[in-house]
Amino acid sequence: MLTRIALRNIFRNRRRSAITLAVIIFGAVGLILFGGYKAVTFRGLRESTIRRIGHLQVFRAGYSSAESQKPLEYGIENAAALRARIEKDPRVKTTAAQITLMGLISNGDKSETFVATAVEDHADAGTVLLGTGLARSMKVREGDSITLMTTTAAGSLNAMDLRVAGTFASGVRELDDRAVKMQLTAAQELLQSTKIEKLLVFLHDTSQTDAARAALASKEIELKSWSELASFYHQVVLLYNGIFSFLGLIVFGVVVFSVANTIVMSIFERTREIGTLMAIGTARARVWRMFFLEGLLTGVIGGVLGLAFGTGLAQLINNAKFMLPPPPGYTVGYQLMILLDPRVLAITFFISVFTATVSSIVPAFRASRMQIVDALGHI
Amino acid sequence: MKRLIGLILLSLTLDTRAEDAAAILARSDAYRNSLDSFSIDVELTAHDGKDVETSKFRVYGKGSDRSVVEFLAPAAEKGKYLLMLRDAMWIYMPSSSRPIRISPLQRLMGQASNGDVARTSFTVDYTPVSATEHGDEWMLELHAKDPSIAYRKVQLWIDRTTHEPRRADFYVASGKLLKRAHFREYTVMSGRRTVSVIEIEDLVRPGRRTEMRYANLVARQNPDNMFTREALAKW
Amino acid sequence: MNEALLHLDHVSKSYRLGRVLVRAVDGVTLDIERGDFLALAGPSGSGKTTLLNLIGSIDKPDAGRVVLDGVDVTATPLHHLATTRRESIGFVFQTFNLLPVLTAWENVEYPLLLRGMSRRERQERVHHWLEQTGIRAQAKQRPDQLSGGQRQRVAIARAMAGEPKLVIADEPTANLDSETAAHILDLLAEINRTTNTTFVFSTHDHALIGRARTVVRVRDGRVAQTEPTAAAA
Repeated sequence: MLTRIALRNIFRNRRRSAITLAVIIFGAVGLILFGGYKAVTFRGLRESTIRRIGHLQVFRAGYSSAESQKPLEYGIENAAALRARIEKDPRVKTTAAQITLMGLISNGDKSETFVATAVEDHADAGTVLLGTGLARSMKVREGDSITLMTTTAAGSLNAMDLRVAGTFASGVRELDDRAVKMQLTAAQELLQSTKIEKLLVFLHDTSQTDAARAALASKEIELKSWSELASFYHQVVLLYNGIFSFLGLIVFGVVVFSVANTIVMSIFERTREIGTLMAIGTARARVWRMFFLEGLLTGVIGGVLGLAFGTGLAQLINNAKFMLPPPPGYTVGYQLMILLDPRVLAITFFISVFTATVSSIVPAFRASRMQIVDALGHI
Repeated sequence: MKRLIGLILLSLTLDTRAEDAAAILARSDAYRNSLDSFSIDVELTAHDGKDVETSKFRVYGKGSDRSVVEFLAPAAEKGKYLLMLRDAMWIYMPSSSRPIRISPLQRLMGQASNGDVARTSFTVDYTPVSATEHGDEWMLELHAKDPSIAYRKVQLWIDRTTHEPRRADFYVASGKLLKRAHFREYTVMSGRRTVSVIEIEDLVRPGRRTEMRYANLVARQNPDNMFTREALAKW
Repeated sequence: MNEALLHLDHVSKSYRLGRVLVRAVDGVTLDIERGDFLALAGPSGSGKTTLLNLIGSIDKPDAGRVVLDGVDVTATPLHHLATTRRESIGFVFQTFNLLPVLTAWENVEYPLLLRGMSRRERQERVHHWLEQTGIRAQAKQRPDQLSGGQRQRVAIARAMAGEPKLVIADEPTANLDSETAAHILDLLAEINRTTNTTFVFSTHDHALIGRARTVVRVRDGRVAQTEPTAAAA
């Protein structure tokens, strides 16, 4: 009976209820869309980061704590044996050897410092790729020749002439002003060493990172997970989560005000009714429960509708394929996608119900504490 | 019989040549690193295309692998000191309380690289592997004794008669020719004939050359502890 | 003679009107007999409504005792009297005071639900009283679809469904036209006669006063006269 009364009272004043529900729905939709956008962003950033740095990186033990004065001083010797061992693990998809080195790059006219990433899948050992900023500052085009100079692993000088095969954009401007990509063997030649600096390990599944890391550990190597190395990713996660929480707080605040206002007005209008109920024997607790239930049900209805609208809108957006401009520091744009994360949906529903319920508590309490005679005498 | 004597004489001369290469090298080095413990004034003029910059230093040296460079001019650089050891280099600036280590990479840049070139002791760090005649000059091919030595190979041209070094070409591990030093002038300093002008060309960046003028070479007792980081701070 | 259903003993009640303390009921002592059809009569401001509220246990006196069927209700805090009210007292209001979101049937059923009655018993009682008050046909309608008279009938049915000892009615006919009022009056009297439920009214209505078996004149918070009327005989 109480539920029936509560439900009917919710729809008693159609317009006011519609507005209150609209507020809840708006809030819910906002949370779902932003939460979904956040989830897509995280996933995209995570996977693109991993594509670049691998799921795990393997170094020689002591690499991080050492202060090396010479390149590859703490590099990995016997890389082949290590790779064979690692690739035996079924979780591992592939490994890639890498060396990063620094030096001077010269076009004959001026020199700049460069930071090179030497990888195995660079096609031609006689060529390099330059970051767009560096190519511009070196004033070189495809086919031009440049000289890379560095100190070798032993400490002597070395220099190599290489051809520019093209340019690349990493998406981060600061990197592109210094970045060089070259062949691993060319780097080893330049550094006069057979070592590699690190091994990138790519797994089949990101979720297996921790398990793989534990399994592959050994005394002579140091392992770092992508998570430890991806500080930018974590910063973005923190930022977006912060915004999401802030948004949630705002939604919470607005819904509380709206529902509380509705219930307070409703109570005010029903003062004589409340007096009557109490006169004919309704206990105070029951009166409280009646209004509390109204708040709760408003939250539930609003939550359900909010979920429906939110998921519907998300589908629409995904199908529409809107394109967004590049985020700070990046050079390419991407499609606006909303990922429907069950966790976000659950949180949203919970917030809707919780806030509506919470906002009804105090007004309901006040209603239950009314004096019968005063209430009956109310207009 | 004449042919036999001729052959013997020839073989002897050949052997002598091989041994001579080391001796020649030593003598050639003497024109550049004449004193073991010394101080010398250096005036450096750097040409970069049309730009010209001049600086002045006093270098205190001991052996071929230790030196302290005192910056004298221009005014902006005055008061700075450089400690150059075989494996490391530190700079001390009056504005900071401690000397800063310069990484090998930073050593590649700027005039520090020329300093390395100018003071190379060929006898200490290099082994002569061949000597060939080129007109009135010997060309000695020198290979670094140690993989940590900056330039793996040097071709040194010296005067056949006086054994004064004329030119040195410095090669890196890949075989690329990086720098060329011309020993232009000789003067008598401290009673010995010494190189007084060296011109160094940067072959990676044509148009860049550095001229170093040496003067006032004086024998000086430089104690070992002068060539330490701590001593650097006390200047 | 029946034992008094209700005994008021030197009951007083004051309330604040702005800065002024008004003595609405001033030391009233009164007995109300079981099965009586009693009218509290008096001009506006006489305190009759306050007195009625005290009798109905929806207000607490500042002094004195109210004893309902042998139980001193003044000893209990007001909000704990909900049970007493729902079991022993029925209310009929001048403004009907039905729950607008419930049908006539549901309105009458409501207090029975509060008492946790079984479904069958609720059905029987609601049905019975809707019949008795003559609005069986309007059972499924909501108050806003009923006339004033019909609404009051629903209210009466609601009051009676719990089979109270006492029914309190504050100006039950004031919002009705004279013809409807007369019908309602007949209904109330009929119920009083057939069930012996005690009725206490507060009223201006002369017709109602005329039909009362006992009339209590209230003036300035005091009971001036208690006169059994011809109807009592």
